[in-house]
Amino acid sequence: MPGDKIYEDLSVIVRRANTVFGVLAVVVLLTLGYYWKVQILDYQKYWSLAEANRTRTRALGAPRGLIRDREGKILADNRASFNVSLIRENIKDPASVYSDISRLVGISEEELRSRLERYKNVPSFEPVVIKDGLEPEEIAPIEARRLEFPMLDVQAEPKRFYPNKGLGAHILGYLQERSPEELRAGAGRNFRVGEMGGRAGVEREYDDRLTGQDGSVVEVVDSFGRKRDELDTAPPVQGREVKLSISAVLQDKAEKLLGEREGAIVALDPATGEVLAMASYPNFDPNRFISRFTPEEWTGLVNDPASPLENRAVRGLYAPGSIFKLVMALAGLDQGYVTEQTSVYCNGSISIYGTPRACWFPQGHGSMDLANAIKNSCNIYFYTLGRQMGIDAIAAAADRMGLGRKTGLDLPGEKEGLVPSSDWKMKTLKTPWFPGETISVAIGQGQLQVTPLQIAAMTAIVANRGRRVVPHLVLEDRGHPAAARPEAAGPPPFRASTFESVIEGMWRSVNDGGTGQGARVEGLNACGKTGSTQVVSRERAEMMARAGKPIKTHSWFSGFAPRDNPRIVVTVLVEFGGGGGATAGPLAREMFSCWKEILGR
Amino acid sequence: MMIDRRLFEEIDWVLIGLLLLLSLIGVFFIYSSSHFLSGNYYLRQLVWIGVSLLAAFLIVIVDYKFLVSFSIYFYAFVIAVLAGSLAFARLVAGTRSWLKFGLFQIQPSELAKIVMILVFARLFAEYKGRYLNGQSTALALLLAGVPLILIVLQPDLGTALTFLAIVGGGFILGGMKKKTIILLLVVSVAVGAGGWNFVLKPYQKRRLTTLLNPAGDPRGAGYQINQSKIAIGSGGLTGKGFMKGSQSQLRFLPARHTDFIFSVIGEEAGFLGVFLVILVYVLTLARMFLSVAKARDRAGVYIIFMASLLIAFQFLINVLMIIGLFPVTGVPLPFLSYGGSSLVSNFIAAGLVLNVKMRRFANV
Repeated sequence: MPGDKIYEDLSVIVRRANTVFGVLAVVVLLTLGYYWKVQILDYQKYWSLAEANRTRTRALGAPRGLIRDREGKILADNRASFNVSLIRENIKDPASVYSDISRLVGISEEELRSRLERYKNVPSFEPVVIKDGLEPEEIAPIEARRLEFPMLDVQAEPKRFYPNKGLGAHILGYLQERSPEELRAGAGRNFRVGEMGGRAGVEREYDDRLTGQDGSVVEVVDSFGRKRDELDTAPPVQGREVKLSISAVLQDKAEKLLGEREGAIVALDPATGEVLAMASYPNFDPNRFISRFTPEEWTGLVNDPASPLENRAVRGLYAPGSIFKLVMALAGLDQGYVTEQTSVYCNGSISIYGTPRACWFPQGHGSMDLANAIKNSCNIYFYTLGRQMGIDAIAAAADRMGLGRKTGLDLPGEKEGLVPSSDWKMKTLKTPWFPGETISVAIGQGQLQVTPLQIAAMTAIVANRGRRVVPHLVLEDRGHPAAARPEAAGPPPFRASTFESVIEGMWRSVNDGGTGQGARVEGLNACGKTGSTQVVSRERAEMMARAGKPIKTHSWFSGFAPRDNPRIVVTVLVEFGGGGGATAGPLAREMFSCWKEILGR
Repeated sequence: MMIDRRLFEEIDWVLIGLLLLLSLIGVFFIYSSSHFLSGNYYLRQLVWIGVSLLAAFLIVIVDYKFLVSFSIYFYAFVIAVLAGSLAFARLVAGTRSWLKFGLFQIQPSELAKIVMILVFARLFAEYKGRYLNGQSTALALLLAGVPLILIVLQPDLGTALTFLAIVGGGFILGGMKKKTIILLLVVSVAVGAGGWNFVLKPYQKRRLTTLLNPAGDPRGAGYQINQSKIAIGSGGLTGKGFMKGSQSQLRFLPARHTDFIFSVIGEEAGFLGVFLVILVYVLTLARMFLSVAKARDRAGVYIIFMASLLIAFQFLINVLMIIGLFPVTGVPLPFLSYGGSSLVSNFIAAGLVLNVKMRRFANV
């Protein structure tokens, strides 16, 4: 019909319309080609992007292994707690969101920023814990506003809990958040950001054993970060349990006995070296460290002049005082400087190398043989013996009894102490040894420095008549007690008979009206030695005595019970406690009878 | 009687079938991408399809010559509504492009596009020469400019863009001399520069810059494009299966059931689904465009061409936008995207094509 008169000629515009459609068709074809590229050629790339989009791997914190005492009582437990993490990757507008988050979570903006600063080198998809230790009712308002705060993540985590508060705090140690450096180093371990690690005590020494294996869960999430499904779950594995040789009852007793006196009490089983109790005052509540956010409390404890974080039993250095007379006696007998019958007359003082030296008992003890010299802790006897032996023989004897080196206890940070010798003085002070100094060392003064644990280990050698044991805290390894017991090195330091003679003196000290009579327990046959160490120099002490001022000394007692087949060694040190017999002895008595009661049950 | 049996026989049932096929494919993927939301969008869309068919039927029974001759009154009405909505309508999602009528919202700018087709058909049908003269060009620009400015002010950039397509289509068909084309280019560059500096909102500018570098802002404006591309690309050849697309089901994909419905198709039905839908679309558009040869008069050619171009342009912009080749401008995919206003206006546009095509014989 085109060409018909009643129709106009539309061929030009129809042609134009068809041309436009042709152009459009070509554009559609090109577009389809681009879809082909995206969907077929780049399929792998977009497929993996989509996978990453919808899944998120979340770590499930593993509870740490339990720590129990020798009877199975739980000393370190775990309990459920919640924390809030910030996923920095999800922050759109850091400028405004920090103040909102700090208000919602209840931390200062400053603290929030410093937390993030600490983790600035950790990948931004890793959640950073910004608040922890939350109760379920505290997380409800945060959970309710998840849509507004897609960068916040609330997680349950097992939290360390010490049910007995400060009991055995120095033994157990405490946890702190693993540092970013630790996270990076890792050393074959894959630490979770914000994971707590052992920083002291058993928690640190056995950190590998106690740390569990974190689990993980692969979650399907939507674009708001809300969980829609779980794909794959690997449950966390709790860390291995550690059973300690500590008796919670005896430990509690030791801590109560110290009360608020600075000092330490150590109790060992001499047969095995198992540590039954190890108290140190002042102490702390390790629960306070579980939070990642108590810097004031932490710095307060670190800067406290009384050093509550220090375990005085293994890190406190003291002169052993008269307790060192046991070493003198053993070596004197063993090497023939004296016999059991050798006696020295004590009239209260003696002049050695032109210097007058006083006995602690000004009236004098009269004629003293070895056993009675130990019983009465007569200074004159041991001055005389010391002058005969000389410093290097004394140092060798102290070394044989384990002084001046670590006992090998399974706790970090144990100190070695110091046993002076002429070589040592030449090396460190570049001056020769003066014979007069030997006299001070002979009664456990001078530069001699020991830890209470060293004295306890030394006492155990005496109680064992020469058999050495290594003190240790862990009772069982994977259920085998033997596997946990370290081998003691070396032969007996002295002949067995010398020990019997010294033990006779120690027995008399406690049971025959000697200096240690405060430790006497009816029917237990305890043996022991007291010590009172001057904290100030001898000259100054004499000056103060002339001025009528009281001189407070550190108070020592170390002993074992019973005399035959000994079951327990107790070492007590009370700083500025006065005479060893008056202060430390009675504490040891309480320890002896407490242990007797426990064994009797 | 305005319509008789013979006219019914001339109705292009194939085109209606193709349009219904597209609409139903849309309903399926609206269901897939919104079944987890409250609101039963797929049911509402079915209702809207019914409403649209009714609207198209009403358009079809009235002779297009009648519509064209009354177009100037429609034009006045639409200008009044646009100006009124600009003044009184509440801001919805940052624009004043919605008018609320009870439960339903209507976008008057959608209506403006239809009216513009009729107005241009009337205007250009007057000029039977090979090229438009300067006077008619100026008049056309004035007639298109007033509603266009009102739409840009709302602001509704997507509709303004399709509006421009109609206007441009009218000029192409009318024919322009080289001198006029150059002048228009200069003017549009000037307007574009002025618009960038004084009219466009920061978020609109960001969308344009994001188009050039979507990875630069993955959580902001680039987010939509990135997520949409991931959805399409991860669909592969055969797709992840109906209702199994992780991007759409897990809500990474924005505006899943509206502007980004084709991304859902790309993800869940793969390249094969994309290919089939585009094939149906090209067949539909071919059926519409090639109907120009069936038009009885000049106004009819203009109506068919501009109505087809309106749908073709939105289709092209949408499929380019969701794969990151065009800025995110809020242009829905005609017949497939959820939304009553768009569905009704596109069915009316198709109704105009049917209207012209069935009245090709002068003696009716």
